[in-house]
Amino acid sequence: MSETILETDLGPARAFAARGWREWSGNGLVSGAIMRAKAAAWLLIVPAIALPVWIIGNERGWLAEQILPRPADVLHTLNEMLASGELAQHAGISLLRVLLGFAVGAGAGLVLGAAMGLSRRVDDHVRPLFTAIAQVPALAWIPLAMLLLGIGETLKIVVIAKAAFVPVAMNTSAGIANVPRALVEVGETFRFTPLQMLRHVVLPGAVPPIFTGLRYGLTHAWIALVSVELLASSEGLGYLLVWGRQMFWLDTVLVAMLVIGVIGFVSDWLLAGVEARLQRWRTDGV
Amino acid sequence: MSIAVDHADRVAETTDSRGRLEVRGVSKTFTVNGAPIAALNDVSLTVAPGEFVALLGPSGCGKSTLLRLIAGLDRDYTGRIVQDGNAVTGTSLERGIVFQEPRLFPWATVRQNIALGLKNAPISEAGKREAVAAHIALVGLDGFAEAYPHQLSGGMAQRAAIARGLVNRPRLLLLDEPFGALDALTRARLQTELQRIWAHEKITMILVTHDVDEAVFLGDRVVVLAPRPGRISRIFDVAAARPRARSDDALIRLRNEVLRTLEHDGADDGKAGQSNRSGA
Amino acid sequence: MASETTATSSAAIGLRRGLVLPLLLLVAWEAGSHSGLVNPQFLPPLEKVGQVAWQELANGELPYALAASLKRDLLGFALGAGFGTVVGLLLGLSRIADRIFTTWFNGLKQIALLAWIPLISLWFGFDEAAKVVFIALAAAIPVILNTVEGVRSTSTKLREVGEVFRFSPLQLVWSLYLPAATPSMLTGLHLGLIYAWLATIGAEYFMAAGPGIGGLIISGRERFEMALVMLGIVVVGLVGFVVDRSATWVEHRLVRWRTA
Repeated sequence: MSETILETDLGPARAFAARGWREWSGNGLVSGAIMRAKAAAWLLIVPAIALPVWIIGNERGWLAEQILPRPADVLHTLNEMLASGELAQHAGISLLRVLLGFAVGAGAGLVLGAAMGLSRRVDDHVRPLFTAIAQVPALAWIPLAMLLLGIGETLKIVVIAKAAFVPVAMNTSAGIANVPRALVEVGETFRFTPLQMLRHVVLPGAVPPIFTGLRYGLTHAWIALVSVELLASSEGLGYLLVWGRQMFWLDTVLVAMLVIGVIGFVSDWLLAGVEARLQRWRTDGV
Repeated sequence: MSIAVDHADRVAETTDSRGRLEVRGVSKTFTVNGAPIAALNDVSLTVAPGEFVALLGPSGCGKSTLLRLIAGLDRDYTGRIVQDGNAVTGTSLERGIVFQEPRLFPWATVRQNIALGLKNAPISEAGKREAVAAHIALVGLDGFAEAYPHQLSGGMAQRAAIARGLVNRPRLLLLDEPFGALDALTRARLQTELQRIWAHEKITMILVTHDVDEAVFLGDRVVVLAPRPGRISRIFDVAAARPRARSDDALIRLRNEVLRTLEHDGADDGKAGQSNRSGA
Repeated sequence: MASETTATSSAAIGLRRGLVLPLLLLVAWEAGSHSGLVNPQFLPPLEKVGQVAWQELANGELPYALAASLKRDLLGFALGAGFGTVVGLLLGLSRIADRIFTTWFNGLKQIALLAWIPLISLWFGFDEAAKVVFIALAAAIPVILNTVEGVRSTSTKLREVGEVFRFSPLQLVWSLYLPAATPSMLTGLHLGLIYAWLATIGAEYFMAAGPGIGGLIISGRERFEMALVMLGIVVVGLVGFVVDRSATWVEHRLVRWRTA
């Protein structure tokens, strides 16, 4: 979200997610199953209270439909939009935009971040301008980008790419620059060539922070997608939100939020899993 | 065991006289906050092939700095450092180093860590595999080859680091307080191991330490350095036969004498005294 | 590698190198807008931007908008931080609350922040209240996360000290968990401030009623006044920078025991 944060700042968020991953991929079949059942039972408490309140509230009329539509209506809308393929179409367009923008932004971020991390000279030259650009969140750039690029696909890709670019470049350069000097010296005593140094010392040490950067990059790209689709789009999940809002179709708004949340959750969960695996050497095996 | 054979061949083809080190009038100055600080002042020392030299001194006497200069990690000094007739201009596979911290690559297993030392060694892949396995056995880490550094105790990690320092068959192994961070029992055990390995491999070793017992127990000579500026204050010859026992009377007497020298150095600390040499 | 340059001269080199790209960019900008190579409507000359800045300052528009934005930023932050601290302490200290709510919270957190805007505007309208609620939500999330983490990471060793002294639950919270969690909680508040500022701009974009920097930018875009949009972006960046720096400064002062 913020453009000025590095890996460490969101440490807790990551620990949260990593714990979730470990719990669910836990080993020990029987005890694992029992633990999961217990955890699920605790989880059901919230819906067990909230759902009846919601349903009864709607029936009795002290929860107006303009505030919260009936759960059955939301489900019905979800079903309908799934069946008609409307939801899949909007989600597909959004996903495609994110992937394209992320690929462009993260690719550029990897290249620039690596150059900054490896070369003091490049870092000196680029850092101030980079910091200035990073300081302004992707959201604030959107109106400017709209003036320059119009409201077509280019706008979306550029805004999403910018959002992904900043954390990837930052974490890549920091990851490479922070490879301990002590380990580089070990490589020197073995007369490592620059290529060997990169392959055996710099990259293994920098992969975890780089991956963290990619993960933040994807999160930022996803947020930027929603922003840009809210402001200027005629299709996609963000557009679905705006459309539902204008028509006062709360059920559509809720369905769109649900899909956005689920996609965000799944992608983050997958990446957290990959990240935990990449860092196996840091702690005991997952 | 297989090392003995392997190694014997390689020693045979390169005569035993290699592993000689000469340090001539070496001085090193650091700049701290713009002010120059002399870390080493006119240090000269000759180490014979196969010799075990202990560099002993209080912290700040420049002993680790001297070791880094010999390793070729730091090239900003005056004077000359020559190994086997070649001036030291950078790091070399002829000189291995074991640091105070094990400095194992945390993302690599014990086997991979040791194998990295052989990346640029001119031997076949099969030879490398064999050498790695032999060195794991040499330092007593059988069964831990696939362990990651975070799974090792301090002593085991340092064993792995020693194996990595040795695996290249350097002519000269530099040890920078390798046992400094270990508990007394583990330290004693590794000292005995190191003595065994040295006797077995006939490699020249230079050990930096601030532990008088360690220096006297392991060294053929104990070079005492005095601080500010770092300089050689006295050199003791350790005559005791090997393998040594810690309870050896001669060793204990020598240890007391070395301690007295250190205390004396501490007393007139600041006066850059003449470096006096004597044998024991 | 061989010789160390002194700290001052390498800083000077860094500064000199750092100025090259921005200066080149500014020169290209001026050349582009004056030579007519680029439509000045897309790239107004620098002096035009400066002129607009002066104009907006002199007629009071900019200070007025900035004050309005900052006011709702801080109000939303205060609400969100307060709420987030309470929730975070609850989730961190109570096993039961943790089991019941944490997973749901993690799920809700995954909904990209701006996706809440349509729902919030349906519930609260386009007025001040809706904006403040949205800003509070944005600030609360990192505060909750970091408070929970801070409380949980209180080391077992310290907890055992508390047990030896037979601290009451209240004493445990007050003299053990809270001090131990302070650094992490401050990090959360710091992030909350950054998020809140971002949310302020977002709220003003989408709920474009009343004064504010975000509204200024949006109206600049609608009237195709590039200079005004640029001015707005610079102000957004500057405020973010100042907020971030001040928060860092406060944080360092408050947890000095950590490093000193």
